[in-house]
Amino acid sequence: MRNPPYPTVLKPYGQALVKLAQERSEILCLTGDLTRQCEIDLFQEALPERFIHAGMAEANMVGMAGGLARRGYLPFVHTFGVFATRRPLDQIINAVAYPSLPVRLVGFMPGISSPGGPSHQAIDDVALMRAVPNMTVVDVADAVEIERALPAITHVPGPVYLRLKRGEIPVIFDDDHEFSLHSAQVIEDGDDIALIASGMMLSAALAAAAELRDAGIGTKVLNVPVVKPLDEETVLEAASGVRAVVTAENHTVIGGLGSAVAETLAGAGLGRPLRRLGLQDTFAEGAKSAPSLFRRYGLGTQDLIDTAWTLLGAPGTAPRAAPAPSTPGEYAPV
Amino acid sequence: MTVLPLAADAARFADRIRLRSLRMIAPHGFGYLGQALSSAEIIASLYAGPYRPARDDLVCSPGHYMIAFYAAAAEAGLLDEQELATYGHDGSALEAIGTERSPAVDLTCGSLGQGLSGAVGFALAHRLAAEPQARVFSLVSDGELEEGQVWEAAMFAAHHQLGSLTVLLDANDSQVDGQLSSITTIEPIADKWRSFGWTAFDVDGHDVNALEDALATAVEDPRPAIVVGRTSTVHGLAALPEGADGHFIKLPEDVAEAATAELEARLA
Repeated sequence: MRNPPYPTVLKPYGQALVKLAQERSEILCLTGDLTRQCEIDLFQEALPERFIHAGMAEANMVGMAGGLARRGYLPFVHTFGVFATRRPLDQIINAVAYPSLPVRLVGFMPGISSPGGPSHQAIDDVALMRAVPNMTVVDVADAVEIERALPAITHVPGPVYLRLKRGEIPVIFDDDHEFSLHSAQVIEDGDDIALIASGMMLSAALAAAAELRDAGIGTKVLNVPVVKPLDEETVLEAASGVRAVVTAENHTVIGGLGSAVAETLAGAGLGRPLRRLGLQDTFAEGAKSAPSLFRRYGLGTQDLIDTAWTLLGAPGTAPRAAPAPSTPGEYAPV
Repeated sequence: MTVLPLAADAARFADRIRLRSLRMIAPHGFGYLGQALSSAEIIASLYAGPYRPARDDLVCSPGHYMIAFYAAAAEAGLLDEQELATYGHDGSALEAIGTERSPAVDLTCGSLGQGLSGAVGFALAHRLAAEPQARVFSLVSDGELEEGQVWEAAMFAAHHQLGSLTVLLDANDSQVDGQLSSITTIEPIADKWRSFGWTAFDVDGHDVNALEDALATAVEDPRPAIVVGRTSTVHGLAALPEGADGHFIKLPEDVAEAATAELEARLA
């Protein structure tokens, strides 16, 4: 694994999709008027005959994808996460999930990574998709995972929701990183507290773990790129080896990763104090940039450190997180 | 104190919307300026014409257009102009994409295609409350016509003869991926609405006289009415580069300065 500050790359998903589609002729690419923002301008250039512009009409786009999938195609449907899950929810359920068709819904700009206001922030997409039977839900953390996840999800017989960051994508893992749709990974070990993270919160969890370890707290970090089906065995193993658990998700704490972990612990009768970091049942208003939203709504590295510190009843004051490096090229809401 | 402009001032009011919008965007270096440039005369004609803020409801269906409504409201004395300087900054209620905190309108939504249904709700509410004088004006963008919900609202409004409802459609042929006409054929726009039972006008959306005439007739018609304004996202600013992105214009400092000078000279 690399050390921060992580290098970033552009369009790893777009490149991986073109490569995959060149090998598999049944792959189609659908867009809902956010082509460049979803990195699929690359697909449009490389394979225009398999590129379908559905316009800004998500319900129809998902319904069409269902029809295409029934006739043997493998449609990848692209828009922002909000519009991929909220607008066409009934179509996702009836035209795709109930018949368990291999449609891939790819939603960009997760959680409060968008300063575009509540209408553009997918803070509930994981919860919505988790609630739908037959759906697989993937929320990856870096460019390496994106490259690995993409071929992997083509083998899932039913529908998949893939949640992707937009813009500069960090490279956290080494090239030999192994990705599995069936297993979460312990990437740092320790026996006091477990930080369980998905997607954009993994880098914050790793930064918090470094500070906590320096302060003498044994910190385990569990990466959970697949929120559904959850690798319950690894989650239980991780939780049973520590005194307390903190989950971190760029999403509301209701119905996402934190809920999935809580359900797993409760179901197994494993009692561990648990705190869920994420949006505390609120919409996120009023920002020029994503970092200010992460600070204001308690999704920063310091929030993770403070939460772990308090939860363990550690003495004195919690260590201070190093200031986050400024991220170049912050994108606009669109 | 509300100071509404005289009808004759509509063209000037439109350029004031442009200038105020430009000043909101310039510190950011990019933003939704194209929306203000294309809708300036449409919104100015509304303020100079039939819209009465205390009596009527105003809906901005595409939340990305809120910049033009912030500008118009400040121009009409309905919004403190100091607030415009906070546009798009941390903690401001004047978000780039409209939210529930947005001033200047009764309803907006950043998720496109939903505003007309809200406007229909307002019109129904006025009917139920026996407020025959109250009118509902809704700005809708042509891109929103790709969303099915708009047509559900259109059918309902005509079926229920919601004559107090007037839609102003900004037909600027622009969406994120490029020209609307290259992605989905929405023409013939006016005939589509007529076939749904609306009275429809199709005019040059930068011609304030044509807009005001259409609006005056529209509000008298017992049917719901739509005024389709044909517009351009770079209208009224020669300083913008050829082929500027209509949905999200990049505005480097030198271009912003030239554009400001151009508008200030015209308004002098």
